[in-house]
Amino acid sequence: MSEIDMAVIKPEMIKAYVWLQISDGSVQQVEQEIAMFCPFICHEILQKGMGSSKNNAICLPQRVSPSLLSLILDYCRFHQVPGHSNKERKSFDEKFVRMDTKKLCELTSAADSLQLKPLVDLTSRALARIIEGKTPEEIREIFHLPDDLTEEEKLEPLKNTTDDPRIRLLNRLYAKKRKELRERERLKNVEAEDEHADEHGDERSVDDLLSFINGNDRDPKEIKTTKNKKKNRRKKDQQKNSLKETSELNKEESNGHDIRCQNAEADRIDDEIDPALQEKIDREVEDFKRILNSDWPKRMQELLSSSGQERKTMLFSTNGTSLPRRRDCMALFSCLYSFFSHMILLPSLTVDILNIIWA
Amino acid sequence: MGDFWGPDLISDLPQSIIESILVRLPIRDAVRTSIFSSKWRYKWNSITKIVVDEKCVPPSNDRTINEKSLLKFVNQLLFLHQGPIHKFQITNSDLQSCPEIDQWILFLSRNDLKELVLELGEGEWFRIPSCLFNCQKLIRLELFRCELEPPLTFKGFMCLKTLILHQVLISPEAIETLISSCPLLESLSLSYFDSLALTIHAPKLRSLYLEGEFRDLCLEDTPLLVDISVAMYMTDDIAEHFEQSSSCNFTRFLGGVPNLERLAGHIYFTKYLSIGNDPGKLPVTYRNLETVELYQVSFEDMKEILVVLRLITSSPNLKELQISGSSNIPTATDAPDLDFWSKECPSDCTLKQLKVVKLTDMCGVPHEMELIKFLLANSPVLETMSIVPCMYVMESQLKMLIELVRFRRASARAEIVFVRD
Repeated sequence: MSEIDMAVIKPEMIKAYVWLQISDGSVQQVEQEIAMFCPFICHEILQKGMGSSKNNAICLPQRVSPSLLSLILDYCRFHQVPGHSNKERKSFDEKFVRMDTKKLCELTSAADSLQLKPLVDLTSRALARIIEGKTPEEIREIFHLPDDLTEEEKLEPLKNTTDDPRIRLLNRLYAKKRKELRERERLKNVEAEDEHADEHGDERSVDDLLSFINGNDRDPKEIKTTKNKKKNRRKKDQQKNSLKETSELNKEESNGHDIRCQNAEADRIDDEIDPALQEKIDREVEDFKRILNSDWPKRMQELLSSSGQERKTMLFSTNGTSLPRRRDCMALFSCLYSFFSHMILLPSLTVDILNIIWA
Repeated sequence: MGDFWGPDLISDLPQSIIESILVRLPIRDAVRTSIFSSKWRYKWNSITKIVVDEKCVPPSNDRTINEKSLLKFVNQLLFLHQGPIHKFQITNSDLQSCPEIDQWILFLSRNDLKELVLELGEGEWFRIPSCLFNCQKLIRLELFRCELEPPLTFKGFMCLKTLILHQVLISPEAIETLISSCPLLESLSLSYFDSLALTIHAPKLRSLYLEGEFRDLCLEDTPLLVDISVAMYMTDDIAEHFEQSSSCNFTRFLGGVPNLERLAGHIYFTKYLSIGNDPGKLPVTYRNLETVELYQVSFEDMKEILVVLRLITSSPNLKELQISGSSNIPTATDAPDLDFWSKECPSDCTLKQLKVVKLTDMCGVPHEMELIKFLLANSPVLETMSIVPCMYVMESQLKMLIELVRFRRASARAEIVFVRD
C-alpha cells in the first residue's frame, strides 16, 4: 500500500485486539495496547504468541474474576495514556481505590497475579491506610479474622493495646479471670470423665493450690486434700501443656523444663527442702497470694511501701510519680524470680504472674 | 468467629503483598499485626524496612524514659525479626549515643543492610563501629552527628550510590578516600564540615551538595556531574589564605563539569570562585546548563562580577537566572569602571534561551544596572525579569527605575516586574 492509502485508513481499523480467557471460562476481547500494560499479558503475547484468536486466548490466572478484570482494565486504560499529568494520575488513583475492603483485597490479589506492580502498590497503600491506627478488634471485624490466639500469645512483648498502664492492667486482670474460669470449666469436664464419684469440680482457689504445694499442713484455710494423686498429675500435665505455650516468654525455661519433669514423677518435692528455706518460701508464697488476691489500690500501696530494700535495685530509676505500674511489675517479678529460684512451680500461678508482668 | 462474618479476606494473600502492606505501616502498627490472628502472628517478622521515628514509643516528657523504652522496643524488634533487613532508619531526637546502637549495627551488618539512616539526638556524637564497613551491599548511607573512622583495610563500599554526611567528624584524607573508593557514587552531600580541603574523584557522580567552611574545593574527576549546590561559609583565616593563592578556583571547581545542568551557589560561593587568576574565556561551554542561582554576589567586587559574566556567557542554553546581591548602598565617591562591560562582554553573546531572570536585593549599584542592561540587551526570548530592590534603599529605587526604563530590550515580550514591599 502506498503512503497515501495508509493515511486514509482510519486509526480504529488498525487497532489490535487480544483475546483473554477468564477463570469462569468466558472469553473477552480487549484492545491490545491496554492489555499490554499488564506484564503478565505482555509476556504471554510476546513470549508465547498467545491471544491472537478466540481459540488461542490467554488464560488469565484464577484470581482474576470478570468484575476484577474490568476494574483492572479501567486502571490500565487511564494510565497507559501518556498525556496525563502526575496530579491527574494521583487523583484518579485516589478515586479508584474507594471500594469496599473485600473488593480491595481481591483486587490486590488479582493485580499481583497479573504482575501489575503499580496497581499492587496502590492497593497495598490503601490497605495499609485501613489498618493503620485501628485496634485489633476493629481490624478483625473489617477483615473477618478469627480471634484464635490465646491470651498468652497475645502478650507478645511489643504489643500495647492502649498506652494507659492501668487500663492494660485491667485488661490483664480480666484476661486472667476469664482464663481461670475457662480452666475450671475444662478441669470440671476432665474430672467428670474419670471421677464419677467426685461431686465437686475443681473449685480450688489459688490458696488451695498453694497450700497443696506447701504440704497441706501450714495453710489454715479449709483444704480439700486430693485423695487421688493421679488426678493432680493429670491436672498438672494439662497445665503444663498450656504453660508450654508461654515457654518463649519464660526466661527460667531451662530450669522449668527439668523441674516439671521432676514434678511429674515426684509427688512430694517439699520433703527434700530444708525447713529454713521452706519457711522463707512459705513467707514469700503468702505474700504473693495475698498480693494477688487483694484488690488494686491496696496492692499498689503495699508494693510501694514494701518495695524498699532489695527490690529497689531492680526498679527503674524513675522519679516516684511516673510509673508505679512498672515498680509493681518489677516487685512481682523479683518475687517471682526468688520463687523460681527455690524450684517451686505453680503452673497456673506462673501464667497469672506472666500475665501481669508482660505489660 | 471467622465463620460468622464470612471468609478471611486478607490472611491468605501472598507474602509479597502482605509485606507490601506492612512496609507502608508505621513500624509500631506493623508489629501489632502479630495479634490479629494466629496466621498473622509472624507475618511481620520478615519486613525488610524498619523506620524508627518519634512515633514508635508512647511519648513522655522525660527524655531518658523515652530513650529506655525506645531501646527496649528496638532490641525486641530486632531480636524477633527474621530475615534480611534492607533499610534501617533511626530518626529520633531522644536517642543518644549508647552501646546498644553498636550492637544493632553489628546485627544489621550481618543481615544484608542496604540503606542506613542514622539521625540521633543532640549530645555526644555517636561513634560508628567498624562493623558498618563490612556492609558491602550498602547503597545509601546517611549519617547525622556521628564520628566516622574507616579502618585501614577498608576498600570502599562497592555498591554505594548515595552518601549523605551531615555534621560528621571524619579526617580529610578519610573522606577523600571514602568518596573515591565508592565507584558507583551518584549523589554526595556533605554538610557542616570545618575547614575542609576537598578534592573529589567520583566518576559516576551526578549530584553534589556541599555546605560548610571549605578551604579548597576541587572537582577532579566528575564528568557526569549534573547538579551542583554549594553553600560556602568563610572564616577570616580562610579568607586570608585565599588572598595568597594564585590558582584559579573557577577552573578548578567548574572546569571539569561540561554536563552541568543546574548550579546553585550560596553565601561566599561567588567570592570563592573569583579568587585566583582570571581564566579569560572559559575553555568549557556549559551546553546543558539551564538554571543558575547565585546568592550574595557582591557587585562592588570586580572579580565577582567577572565570575558571573563568564558563567553567563559560557552557557548558551541558559533558561533561568537568579542572582541576589549583597552590596552596600552606593555612595557618590565610588567611581566604577564601566568600560569593563564593553571590554569583557563578547560582542556576539546572545542568550537565546533565557526566559526568566530574577534579581533580588538590588541596591542600585552601577554594576548591577550594567548587568541588567546587559541581560536585557542580549535576551531575545526573555519573558519575565523581576527585580526586588534591597529593603533599605528608598530614594535609590526611583533612580533605579529611571535608569531601567531607558534600557534597550531585545525581547518584545519582556516584562519587567519591579517588586516593592
